[in-house]
Amino acid sequence: MKILLVEDDGENADYVANGLREEGHLVAQVASGAEGLIRAVGDSFDLLIVDRMIPGLDGLNLVKSLRAAGHHTPVLFLTALDGVEDRVLGLNAGGDDYLVKPFAFSELVARVAALGRRPRTTAAETRLILLDLEIDPLSRTVRRRGQLIELQPREYRLLEYLMRHAGQVVTRTMLLEHVWDIHFDPRSNIVETHISRLRSKVDKGFEAQLIHTVRGAGYCVRSPA
Amino acid sequence: MSAALPRVLRTSSFRLTLLYAGLFGCSALILVGVIYGWTGMYMASSLDTAIDSDITELEDSLRAGGHEALTAQVKERLQETPNGPMFILLQDPEGKVIAGNIPPSHGGEGRFDLKVPRINSPSVAIHAHGITLPDGEYLMVGVDALPRRAMHKLIVRVFGWSSAITLVLAFASGALMSAGLLRRIETISRTARDIMAGDFSRRIPVRGTADEFDHLIASLNAMLERNESAMESVRQVSNDIAHDLRTPLTRLRQRLELAQRRARSAEEWQRVSDGCISDMDAILETFGALLRIAQIESGIPARRFAKVDLSELLRTMIEIYQPMAEENQQRFTADIASGLTVWGDRELLAQMVANVIENAMKHSPAGASIGLMTIQSPTAIAVTVIDSGPGIPAADRGRVFRRFYRLESSRSKPGSGLGLSLVEAIAALHRVSIDLTDNSPGLRFTLRFFSSDQRTLAGDRLAQHQTHVVSMTIQRWHSRLWAKRRGAGRESAATKGTASGRD
Repeated sequence: MKILLVEDDGENADYVANGLREEGHLVAQVASGAEGLIRAVGDSFDLLIVDRMIPGLDGLNLVKSLRAAGHHTPVLFLTALDGVEDRVLGLNAGGDDYLVKPFAFSELVARVAALGRRPRTTAAETRLILLDLEIDPLSRTVRRRGQLIELQPREYRLLEYLMRHAGQVVTRTMLLEHVWDIHFDPRSNIVETHISRLRSKVDKGFEAQLIHTVRGAGYCVRSPA
Repeated sequence: MSAALPRVLRTSSFRLTLLYAGLFGCSALILVGVIYGWTGMYMASSLDTAIDSDITELEDSLRAGGHEALTAQVKERLQETPNGPMFILLQDPEGKVIAGNIPPSHGGEGRFDLKVPRINSPSVAIHAHGITLPDGEYLMVGVDALPRRAMHKLIVRVFGWSSAITLVLAFASGALMSAGLLRRIETISRTARDIMAGDFSRRIPVRGTADEFDHLIASLNAMLERNESAMESVRQVSNDIAHDLRTPLTRLRQRLELAQRRARSAEEWQRVSDGCISDMDAILETFGALLRIAQIESGIPARRFAKVDLSELLRTMIEIYQPMAEENQQRFTADIASGLTVWGDRELLAQMVANVIENAMKHSPAGASIGLMTIQSPTAIAVTVIDSGPGIPAADRGRVFRRFYRLESSRSKPGSGLGLSLVEAIAALHRVSIDLTDNSPGLRFTLRFFSSDQRTLAGDRLAQHQTHVVSMTIQRWHSRLWAKRRGAGRESAATKGTASGRD
């Protein structure tokens, strides 16, 4: 994926850029908002990673200008501002996701991957199929090997989210945000519990396990290797 | 006072007093002018009446006794008042004086004023009336106009004195009033300077007269109160950081130093860095919670408040925690009324309820039952979480909301000791009252949304700017910690799942 990183803190920018390069992405780095806007408009990137607080044109206004100019490149905000209001402001300005510093690198990688896939999943997909697991988003039914699986509404949302990001690592925070609309970090392991219940309904009794735990990062739905 | 005097003269109230005195002077001047004119006219007409009656009398004697009688009458009169105040002049048609105490004149017809020189005394201004008699003789009768002059002089003197007194009074009262106002303003500005010098508990004294100054001072004091509590909350956070984050940071450092000295293999290093990252996550989690409490305590703008479907929110919570309770082998029951709404921030309310439920679950053993229920009364909506765990001794109930406070019995369990502090902060922001009672056994944790407070919140649109300032300051420390964490993270390929600074 071709990524533009707009971050003024050199050390942090290098850390993020090098990490993403190791993940196989092409990363361009700029340190100011104005430069970022010029690069973003002039070149075609798959994703912009923008720090909220950068000199000159700040991150928020950069994205506003970009959107006003008709560019729809996905944007991930990085920020040290973690008030609830700050997140809402960021998303309203046209950001697609919001990651608060400090973050685990695996969290960044997962979100970058999720944003990269975004355009394709927004297309009307009638069915999500993985191996012998089949989801019909219209009727909200789940079948495995043709056999109907009864899921509670929230379990269904969890599975659908995982399936829409099949093959990608999805972190615990991403699940909390998208499945439960929770933007704080609950002390207890609610995600783990719900995943294990989902697993018992979807994977139990089948030879091929589809829901995988990625140690230290999150979860992934994929065919067993 | 001599140093303060120029200031008094420069005050707006003093200038206002002077302006009013000037306006008063102008209107008095107009009034005096009118009085002056009118009394002049009145005096002149009364002099005319006297003159006219004399002329009529003299004409009568002319008609009755002819020329001789008139002359005799005039001479007789002149004998009585040779030197005024009555003046008479009788001239024959050739202009020769027949009788009179006025020098001859070509005197006109009608009324006029005239200056008459007198023997052995200053000349006198008279008001006179001249007529030509039927036989061609000229008769003029005049009266000393002294009463009119005296009256005019009196008026001018009265006006002069009263204006002078008015001006002096205006000046004095203006100065006095200004000095009074200046004193009150000086009190306010002295208090402001004291506060700037660091005495944040200072307040401006109220005089108790409920005047506009007291009103202003009450508002200023309320503002100072708010600022002080916001500052207090920042101070509290820095203290908490100093005291309670130093310990885990020290531990982290020791762990790294130990590894530096002893670690021999890559696996060992890996293990140490994993441990360090999870230590760091715990620290960041604590830090994030402190930050959030500080943000909430210094007041999140109430304009962000909206109507929240409490029933739906509680059902989501049940849905989230039910499976966890099952996993803990606890029974989780719920009884939620439909259609409950409250004013607030949905996310914060969710966190408040989540923390209370987690608190109940964490402190209850396997086999315990936990319940979430709502009771709606005309005055309040009560959300109650009950458990059948060990409960909290009555003496400790007030203390569990303190930051980092943990009951002796729960020190072994994981947790930062901030969960209930956060609950308390969110509740205070939403004017929710918290009630801890005995559930025998266990604890009954009740959150009450009073309808009267809800109405206030619905109308409350106070923007509270300082929130942002406070959080910005704290976030600078946050970024510094982040820099440390980044250093630790780079060493490790397998990073831990979450960034705990979020909450």
